Formats: sequence, C-alpha cells, structure tokens
Amino acid sequence: MKKVITGNQAVAYGVILSRVDVISAYPITPQTTIVEELSELTASGRMKTVFLKVESEHSAMAALIGASTGGVRCFTATSSHGLAYMHEMLHWASGARLPIVLVNVNRAIAPPWNIWSDQSDSLSQRDTGWVQLYCEHNQEVLDTVLQAYRIAESVKLPVMVVLDAYVLSHTSEPVEIPTAEEVDAFLPPYCPEYTIDTQEPMAFSTIATPDHFLEFRYKIQKAMEQVPEIAKKVNDEFRSRFNRGYGAIERYGKEEADILLMTSGTVTGTSRIVVEKLNRKGYDVCGLKIKRFRPFPVEEICKEIKGAKKVAIIDRNLSAGVGGIFAQELRASLYSREKRPQIFGFVSGLGGRDITPELIEEAIQYTVDHPQPEEEILWLGLKK
Amino acid sequence: MIEIRFHGRGGQGAVVASKVLAVAFFHETLYVQSFPAFGVERRGAPVMAFLRVDRQPIHLRVNIYEPDHIVVLDPTLIGAVDVTAGLKQNGWILINSHQLPEAFSDLKGFRRATVDATSIAVRNGLGSRTSPIINTAILGAFSKVTGLVGIDSIALAIREELSGKKDENAKAAREAFQEVRF
Amino acid sequence: MTKQFVFKGASQMPMISVSLGHMDWNKTGAWRAQRPFYEDKTSPCSAACPVGNDIVGFIQKITEEDFEGAWNLIREENPFPGVCGRVCFHPCESKCNRREYDEPIAIHALERFVSDFASNLNKKIRKGPGARKNKIAVIGSGPAGMSCAYHLAKLDYDVTVFESSSLAGGMLRTGIPSYRLPKDVLDREISNIAELGVEIRTGIPFGEGLNLDGLKNYQAIFIATGAHRGRDLHVPGGKGRGVFSGLDLLKKINLGRKVTLGDKIAIVGGGNTAIDVARSVVRLGKKATILYRRSKEEMPAFGEEMVEALEEGVKIRYLVNPIRIQQKDSLHRLECLRMELGEKDESGRRKPVPIPGSNFFFEADNVIIAAGEEVELFFLPKGLEKREGIVLTQRDGNTGARGIFAGGDLTSNQRTVAHAIGSGKKVALAIDCYLNGKDSEEALRQILTGEGPSISMFRYLHPQERLMNPHVVTFDELNTDYFEPSRRQRETKDLIKKRIKGFREITSGFTEGIAMEEAERCFSCGTCVGCENCYVFCPDASIIKIGEVLSHQVDYDFCKGCGICFSECPRGVISLKEEAR
Repeated sequence: MKKVITGNQAVAYGVILSRVDVISAYPITPQTTIVEELSELTASGRMKTVFLKVESEHSAMAALIGASTGGVRCFTATSSHGLAYMHEMLHWASGARLPIVLVNVNRAIAPPWNIWSDQSDSLSQRDTGWVQLYCEHNQEVLDTVLQAYRIAESVKLPVMVVLDAYVLSHTSEPVEIPTAEEVDAFLPPYCPEYTIDTQEPMAFSTIATPDHFLEFRYKIQKAMEQVPEIAKKVNDEFRSRFNRGYGAIERYGKEEADILLMTSGTVTGTSRIVVEKLNRKGYDVCGLKIKRFRPFPVEEICKEIKGAKKVAIIDRNLSAGVGGIFAQELRASLYSREKRPQIFGFVSGLGGRDITPELIEEAIQYTVDHPQPEEEILWLGLKK
Repeated sequence: MIEIRFHGRGGQGAVVASKVLAVAFFHETLYVQSFPAFGVERRGAPVMAFLRVDRQPIHLRVNIYEPDHIVVLDPTLIGAVDVTAGLKQNGWILINSHQLPEAFSDLKGFRRATVDATSIAVRNGLGSRTSPIINTAILGAFSKVTGLVGIDSIALAIREELSGKKDENAKAAREAFQEVRF
Repeated sequence: MTKQFVFKGASQMPMISVSLGHMDWNKTGAWRAQRPFYEDKTSPCSAACPVGNDIVGFIQKITEEDFEGAWNLIREENPFPGVCGRVCFHPCESKCNRREYDEPIAIHALERFVSDFASNLNKKIRKGPGARKNKIAVIGSGPAGMSCAYHLAKLDYDVTVFESSSLAGGMLRTGIPSYRLPKDVLDREISNIAELGVEIRTGIPFGEGLNLDGLKNYQAIFIATGAHRGRDLHVPGGKGRGVFSGLDLLKKINLGRKVTLGDKIAIVGGGNTAIDVARSVVRLGKKATILYRRSKEEMPAFGEEMVEALEEGVKIRYLVNPIRIQQKDSLHRLECLRMELGEKDESGRRKPVPIPGSNFFFEADNVIIAAGEEVELFFLPKGLEKREGIVLTQRDGNTGARGIFAGGDLTSNQRTVAHAIGSGKKVALAIDCYLNGKDSEEALRQILTGEGPSISMFRYLHPQERLMNPHVVTFDELNTDYFEPSRRQRETKDLIKKRIKGFREITSGFTEGIAMEEAERCFSCGTCVGCENCYVFCPDASIIKIGEVLSHQVDYDFCKGCGICFSECPRGVISLKEEAR
C-alpha cells in the first residue's frame, strides 16, 4: 500500500512492522512525532509493545540496554541534545553487543539554538561502536529501519538510522508500506545469543582486566568488519523481496568521470538533479551517495572512484579544527591507496540552511576550475 | 514540476492544506512532496507551506523559491508579507476573500482568484464563527481555478486526511469549487 | 575464592564479558549485612480506633470493588458500622497519615457507605451453627451492651439483654437525634444482632423489676447501664418549672413524645448534648441560644457539628455563666456573669474565671441544662467499687465481684459511642476467658491493635492469621513518591432550609464510584497491596513471586541486603534487620 507520509511516520511504520517489543524514548524536536505516534499506537493496544516512559534520553537508552539484555527487540528515537545526552549509554550498548536500533533525526546542537538539519549530532557519536546509516528519502527511511534490525541482530551491534530534520522528518511524500506478512518473512524474531534468565543467572558485563579488555574490543572491530558483507546480503534479500534496495554507497550520473561528487542524506537528492544537468552540459562528473558512515565503506568507495582525479565532498557537519567529517574519513581511507584523488572538502548547509542546486553547481564548478583545493575547508554559501 | 506555496497564519491549517492537496494529486498518480516552512511558529504568526507535484519522483530537497501558484488563506497577509515573492509569470494567486479578484489591485500582473472560504466554512460548521477552518474549502477553489487536480480527488483526500467532519469539509470544498471567482 | 580465568586469546573468549556458566553457585546473599523481610504493620487509623476496626483492610476491599468483603471485615470487630459511620467522632481520621500529605481519608464516610451497601443487599450475619454454651445476661442495650452481646453470641454464648426502656439502643436511641442517626439504621443494626440469637427483653429496669438474685442462672453478667442523668447546674432556680435536662428533652423527642416549649430557648453547656438540643429545638421551630462558660477553643462539642449548628441558626454565646434562674410567669431570666480564661485546669483547658460585677440578664421561655451527664448509681448492686461518679473495674471490665463485669459510660469518662462499643467487645472477651479459665489480661495483651487499648477480636479467634507487627507506621516511614495529591471526597448535605424543616438525615452517603475513588486515596499504611515495587526494583531478582503473585518471601541466597525494596516500598511493609553474625 502506498501512502503519503512524513519521514517520522515512515520510521513509526518501520518500527511497527519490525514487531519491536520494547520502546523507550524521551521527546525532542524534531523527533517527537515518532514517539508520539508509537506511544499512541501502544496505548491504544494496536501495537503489542511495552513503552517505557523515562525522564531522559540517558535513561531511555539505559532502559533499552536492560530490555535488550533480556533478549527482546528494542527501539528508541532521539535528536541533537538528546543523542548527546545518551552518549555514555551508546558505548554501553555496543560494548554489551546489544542489537538496539535507534533513529536519530539530524539536528544542530546549540548554542546558538537551532532545531534544523545538521549532521553534527550523529557524527559526534561516530566512535561509540554503532553502525550508522543515513537516508535520502522517506521510503529509504522505512526500509532502512527494517534492514537495521537484520544487520544489528546478525553482527550483534547496535544500529543508528539517521534522517534529516524537516527535509525528511516533516516532509510528506509517497511511501510504499509493506504488509506485516512480507516483513515477517524478511525479519524473523530476534534470537539472542545471551539473555538474562533468572532460572539460570549469569554475570553480565563483568569486569575485564587488562588481560582481556583489548580482546573484547578486538571482537567489536571484527564484528564491524563483518557489516559490509552482511549488510550487502541483507540488502540483496530485501531487494529480491521488495524490489528496491540501497547499497552502502550508490553511484549515479556518468559511469566513470574525472570528478566525483560525494554527498549523504537529502543533499544527494538535489545533487542527482545537478549532476544530471551538468552531464547534459558535458561536464565530466558523476555522483556518489554515501549511506553507511560506520563502518566507513572504504572498499566500496575505492571501487567506485575508478579513474576519478578529484572528489568533491559536501559535508553538512563540522568538526571544528578539521572540517567536514565525511571528508576527513575519506582522506584517511584513501591515504594508503595507490590512486589518491584530490579531495575538495566543502562545508555547507549547517543548521538547516538550504543546500540549493546552485550551491552544488558552484562546488562542482570550483572543483573543475582548480587542480587542487586552495583551502582544506571550502565554505559553500558562506556569507563573509 | 509544479510548485505551490501556501500562506496562512499559525493555526489556520496551511500545512494540512498542503498535505491534503498533495494526497489529492497523489490519487491522480502524480509524485508529491509536501512540507511546512520549518520554524518556530506561533499561533497567528505568518506561516508558509509548500507542495511539489511532478510526473517523476521528486529529488529536489530545498524550499520553494519560485512557485507556480500561490494560495493565501488570510487576506490580511497581503501587504504584511511579500506573498508574490518569486511567483512565476502567469501564476495563479488564490485568495480567501469575500471581495472580487479585481479588488486586489496591488497584485495586478498576476492571475487572481478569490473565494469566500470563510463564509463557506461558517455555513458548514467548520471551526467557530470567530476562527473558521477554511483550509479545505479553499482547495475546492484551487481545483476549479487551476484545473490541475479534480474536485473528486480533493474530496477523497479530505476524507482520508481529516479525522473529523469529513462530510462537512468535503461539502465546503465542493461549494468553493462552485463559488470561486476568477 | 573464585577461580581467575586467563584466556589464551580472543578466539577462546565469549562475545561479551559474561560468566562462563550460570552463577547459582555464587550465593551473593552471603555478603548481606542486613536482611529485608515482609511484615505487615499497624496503620495509625486502626490503632486510633476505639472499636478496633481493621480500617486499612476494609478500605482495600472497597478499592477492589468487594463491598461485601469490606462489610464482613468490619463486622468482625464492629456490629455498628452504620452508627459509627455517622456519629463516631472518627479519631482514625485525626491520625490518618494522609493528613500530613494533603487531606485525611474520609474513613467514616467509607464505613457508612459499606453499611448502606450491605443494607441494600439485605446482607445479615446468620446465627452460627455451634451449640449454645453458657448463659450470659447483659444489662443495658446501648452500644456497650449490644457490642458485648454481639461478640458473645458469635462466641456461641446464649445471651439475654435486659433493657429498661421500651426500645433497645440506649443512648444511641434516646440521646442522638435522628437527623444525625436515623432510627431505621439503628433498628437494622440491632436486629442484625438479635438475629444471631441474642434475646432482647425491653421494659425491664434493673434495680426495680430485676436484680442480681433474679439472674442467678446466668454464668456471667455484664452491667452497661450507661450515664443517663443530666448533671445539675447547682444554681438557684436550676430545678424550676420550664427548666429541663437536655438528655431528658432529647429522649422525649427521640421517642416521639410530645414536648411543650416556648419560642426562645436558652441551652446551658458546651458539649455535644448542648449542640444536639439546640439543633433539635431549631427543628421544632424555636430559637436556640447556647450559653457556654468558656471560649470556642475549649468547647468539647465536635467541630463539624458546631459548624452545622451555626449554619442552622443556633446562636452561641461564649464566656457566659448563669448564676441564677428567675421565673416570672412563663418567662425565665437568667442572671449571668461574664467570664475570662485563667490558668489551665486538670482537663488541660483554661479555667473560666468570673469577672466581678459583670452581671447581666438573659431572657428565655425555657432553659435546657446540658452540662454533662452522670451515672445513676443508686440501683447498682452493692459491692461494686465506685469513685468520682463511675464504677471501677479492672482493665478487662471485671468488677471484682465474681462473674460480674461492667463497661461503657458506666465505667469511663470517655463517653463516646466508639469507646462504648470497644468496651463491650473487651468484656465479651473477658467473659469468654473467665468462663474458660483463661488469663484475660494475657489474652488482651496478645490482641492489642498497635499499642492498644483497642483490640482485635479477629486475632483472638484466629491467632495465627493476618499477623501484624504492633508498630504503628508513621508518615516518615512511607515513600510518598508513589502517591499523587488528591482531594478528599465529601458527603453531600441537604440545603440548610431543608435541613431545619425536620429530623431527616442531613448527609447523603457516597456513591460506589466516589467511595472507590476515596478508598484509592488510602496509603494502606503497613499493609501490602501488591504494588510490586519491591519486585521491580530488586537488583538481584530476589523477590519471589509464585506464579503472578508476590509470595512475600525473599530469596536470601542472593539478596545482598541493599535495602532498595525497603526504601521503595510506598507503605512501610518491608522491614530491615541486622544480620546476626
């Protein structure tokens, strides 16, 4: 069934269809309508879920850690300061290898106060051991929630699904909503490897001395390294069942080009239009959408770079002192490669400013015109 | 692609109007994208909502700067806000007003249409006499004026998207369809 | 000591830092320094109830919509819930812990609700099957006598009640106006007692037609003849024509006899009788003025009734004392002195002192003296020890004479309905002990509610059930985080205009919905209601449930004694004690 729904409603549909057992969340703009919808569905009995009301996002994640350790499927949603407040518990969830799925609606972190789209909140959590998946449109939002549980429960790592504030969260567009039977066939019930059982009590999250701590972290890294392969398998199966899918990355425009434009989130949508237009004009440019940020799709990107000499990358985030975080990751991944294209790191659209087709065109034109960037950070649309 | 911009005041239902119209177009097998102007709105403050309609999937993810048509839910916004900003040549501007289109002489140069959606809403018991809900009636007028979307699709969308007074709202849209002046 | 594992490498290690097997062997209970345990405790309301009602118990039944269960619980201790729910001065509510939080529970109204509910169902306690044992005579059918007869009948004794008046009920019938206690409520509760097999013989005054010799074939006798004589004012003219005793007047009105009064009535006194008289004469269409020698603060009448009296047009003049009553034709002139308050007297109240030369006159058609009541002693058998106007007994009501017990207003200056009912219950138990050769002092000590003096008949009959620590739960011992403020429900009263037109009951009882709402407000101090906070919060999963129900047992193999259950229990049910090492 196709319906015109917002990105936040798409999240809620994904959660219902995933037959989540426990939800715990705290409201924050622009995520609130997700948990409003879910709490209403739970309260009315249309959804068989335990909804734990809590006093903070830290508690929300803590509650889910308890529930997930009990062996059930868990969900939360947050945004911006809420995600920041969860930080400690995010580490705990991955360290305890709990396949919790969290939806973060990208929003800037204050001050100054700003409720609009900006990836700095989720990217601040890049070292917490969570898989991170960014979405371009509402259909992808719903589908990614479904896939996230499959991935999380396979590798035993938590997954964060990320969508842009307002541009997706509050924007209505047609979304195909699969039936419960279709999703049940794709997403089997969660079978935990370890679970709390009062009949056979075990000690969880015990101390690990210097003799063992390193090895536990090594195992998390190994699990992360499994993600590309498992995510691909999950997506392939998804595609075969639902006739649509999303890779860790997706190339569009020309098959091969001198210039590669890299984007994430909804900027990709607008970029598709620009790349198509410039290709018609004869520009040698193609686009690359990055869906998965953690683990960073190094292999996949290297394959797609092919003969590209320059990569223009647009970051809607800023790691002050360094620049755009996607650009930084890209530079680090390419350093050891033989072919290293020039990286043009653009920072734009912070705090929800529109990244218009004109700005994207400007970025590509700059990349065409310069053999190498004049500065490490190229500010796009900055009013000087 | 057609781009439409709604002007209203916080609480008037501009966002819902945009969503209902999107669903109406969707029923005519078009792709749609409906969104509010994201902000920290207060009741009574000027607000905007946007709608894109296309035959292909819509990838563009920015605000609407050069709309094809404009819908104004509250005539007092004209003058207070630059409602015609970026409006394309030949674009319609549809205003909720009891006056004739010619009365809005400041908007000369655009195609003007008016409908007394307020009276229609009051007549159909939508909202209260002091703050009638006119966002459904005006969509009926939009259907007639632009010819872009059928009145039956509008009525169907109203029934789907509204939780109460479905019949009254659909009836108001059909009355506005008849009464709009242009 | 636990064995320390060192893995050779990551491949041997589990995915997470988890024990390699189950940890049942690790009895963490061994670390415990203190031990939590479930122990129901006494609620302050029950401890304060002279009757010994299980108040928390019956209120919880109301919350469960088990009104019949509530009725049965009340009737274990009290044959007069309909009376008490209306006229008891509810000391329970003064001690209710909720008073310190917002407003106390309307316990009296809930008790009345239960009795009204039961009357609608025509629910009555039927005679027990047991063979009648010894014969007991009860002299006086007031609350003390009837309470004693009720409990004795339930203990399978053959009880006969002798009443001097033509109708049973004692002061409940003659002293309390029916706008406070309708006669049908009293009749219903007395007939419930009679249905247990109690024989009530009316019109037999003790000391006249009946004496101890005539009661020889009774194995025990309970004298509960009350205090029916109005105290004299001891002023000149205090016994003149048109000057009446308040108790006599109430009795006449209550028994439906004709009373002839002028229009303007002066009532001397400040107790409940003065208020009852004043409100009754207002209902007869007269003007009532109460003259009281102390100030409002010292007035022994219950606050609410004073408020109602004032609403109904009764005037009260404070710090006024009549010293002489003169009569001229049908008009009475009361010569009064104005008073001021001096030092505190033995009752703890400030003593009124006359202001010299402040004499003034107050005119009235009739003067009613309501300056307290006294025990009529002349007809009592010889050998009973009397002091300061009351009969002296031991704690259990034993008069010292073999098989003769006394109680109620006759033996106490705490003359309330509730005290009388409690006294009758105590004597029933004492008689049972006496006839079975048991030590009544010891038996009483075993069944005190809290620190006493009220007692639990249930515990006397079932010593091993519903065990309860006598400790009275204080407000500080509750965890009020789990309660929400709420308004106390109030019974509706008739409009004043309607009230003074007659002797109809002026308050209406709770509806089922309101009663349940009010019952929900009860903190249930000291009694577990199964909220499961202990179960939810225990970090060691050591609170044991059997099926879905709390077992009220702790798994001491694993309980580390953290005390979270103790601190999160909203109602102080869990206790902690130090582990003996």
